[in-house]
Amino acid sequence: MTSLRTEGLTKSFGGVPAVHGATVELRDGQVNGLIGPNGSGKTTFFNLITGMIRPDSGRVLYRERDITRHAPHRIAHAGIGRTFQLCRVFPRLTVLENMLVAVRRTRLRELLAGLHDEGEAERARRWLHRMGIEHLEHAEARDLSYGQQKLLELAAVLMAEPDLVLLDEPAGGVNPALIDRIVTLVRELNAEGRTFLVVEHNMDMVMGMCDHVIVFDRGAPIAAGPPSAIRDDPRVLEAYLGV
Amino acid sequence: MRTASRGLPLLVAALAIAYPWLVPNYYLVYAGALTVMYAAMATSWNLLGGFTGYVSLGHSAFFGLGAYGTGLLVTRLDVPWAVALPVSALLVTVFAVGVGVAAVRVRGASFVIVSIALVSMMNLVVQGWRSLTGGSTGLQVPSPFPGLHRGQTHMVFFYLFLVLLGLALLSWWYVSRSRFGAGLRAIREDEDKAESLGVPTGAYKVAAFALSALFVALAGGLYALWFGSLDPIFMFSILIGSYMVLMSLLGGVRHVYGPLLGALIVAPAGEYFLIALGETQVHLAATGVLLILVVLFMPEGILSRLTRGRGGPSIPEESAGQRLEGAAR
Repeated sequence: MTSLRTEGLTKSFGGVPAVHGATVELRDGQVNGLIGPNGSGKTTFFNLITGMIRPDSGRVLYRERDITRHAPHRIAHAGIGRTFQLCRVFPRLTVLENMLVAVRRTRLRELLAGLHDEGEAERARRWLHRMGIEHLEHAEARDLSYGQQKLLELAAVLMAEPDLVLLDEPAGGVNPALIDRIVTLVRELNAEGRTFLVVEHNMDMVMGMCDHVIVFDRGAPIAAGPPSAIRDDPRVLEAYLGV
Repeated sequence: MRTASRGLPLLVAALAIAYPWLVPNYYLVYAGALTVMYAAMATSWNLLGGFTGYVSLGHSAFFGLGAYGTGLLVTRLDVPWAVALPVSALLVTVFAVGVGVAAVRVRGASFVIVSIALVSMMNLVVQGWRSLTGGSTGLQVPSPFPGLHRGQTHMVFFYLFLVLLGLALLSWWYVSRSRFGAGLRAIREDEDKAESLGVPTGAYKVAAFALSALFVALAGGLYALWFGSLDPIFMFSILIGSYMVLMSLLGGVRHVYGPLLGALIVAPAGEYFLIALGETQVHLAATGVLLILVVLFMPEGILSRLTRGRGGPSIPEESAGQRLEGAAR
């Protein structure tokens, strides 16, 4: 079943196209990689899917529902979560408070519920435990290492129970041990039924982790398929190496 | 330490209740009522400014509208004051929802300017609508307690403002402990990130804006009933909004009692400057100097400095300097 489909998605900034007619399809339950040279429009594509910016034309369909012009929080409620290229946590909130910001439903009773409502706090602690940072729940997020912040950012996204998770350069700026940990987490979460779309420059990670890889160049997909096919695709080699 | 932090507010509350009987004259009761009024307004302002980081200099618009709404309901429609007060405040809150939907679409310095424009527009409307509001000659509101002499009236309003302050503090405390409050703080930290986690930031900001306006409007209504004479130049003065900001910054915007502490310093200081320096503009300059001193030497507010490293009902630190820088961005 199709999880997400974009149709002719286009966005220009000052007349310069960042994403141009991007038509992409993600299937449920897959780990999808999104690769391409710097400036090829990968992050803009993420921002278009998650409603952070509005497209000039084209559509985004999630589970066959048009979410093109929905506000980001509505897209999050629909079941799409994301991390950012430069890790973003709420620096002056504690780790546990960072977790409790995520909202899947906006029922008044739930919003006015105590911040330390044990049910939600326990759920948050389970995610923190899974990330290996449960011992830091009372620390302010700004006091965490960059790698720990990356894990916290992912845990906070998962707290909103997304079915589709968009990860923007999860391996950026983190040590090899943590990369292995992130890969293991993605695989585990995928086995539990979550679909992933991962922007990443670390080719070993992408080729080892993904079921399906999409290659962007100049704002549009130029190739898509299993990693083994993408690795030797002449269009991909040309985009990356200019040969 | 924990016992002291719990006991101190109770002691302050007991002292506040006893205050009118402890002071030697009614002038000090009047000054006390004024201080408690400003404390309630600053605490209300902090429901928006402290949680979301949106600095409004235009909250005096809600003060003035609450006052005129109450005054007009009492004088034009003969509504009993105890009904006019909450009805007026609710109408202002509905108005604030409408204003908020437009105002919170912009951030930083743009929001500050929008808030200033709001208070200026309300001033012009009230001054221009002479047939209804009395225009620049003002509006006279009959005393709700005609049997009491002036000093006794000060005492009654001291307690009414004290109740309002209690409600504002309770609201702040309740919001700070809710997931709604966590969402508001997330907006202050990183609005786009909060939105991506499913926080409907627009609705949250409007709710905080309206809740904040509600208590300020109630303060305005009580002021109208207390003073009985409304002058649009004063009621819609940017200075009143500035006082709310100054008091909150001085005491500490991250702490439930911060604006209260700021009011306990700034309001009596203002009265002192008025007495010492007379009805000149010098007391305004003195207020400006105080604001500069706060930003330079007490950037995180007094309570943040005193409670650093301790637990307590506060939200994380951000200096007044950072706040003003944020507003200017």
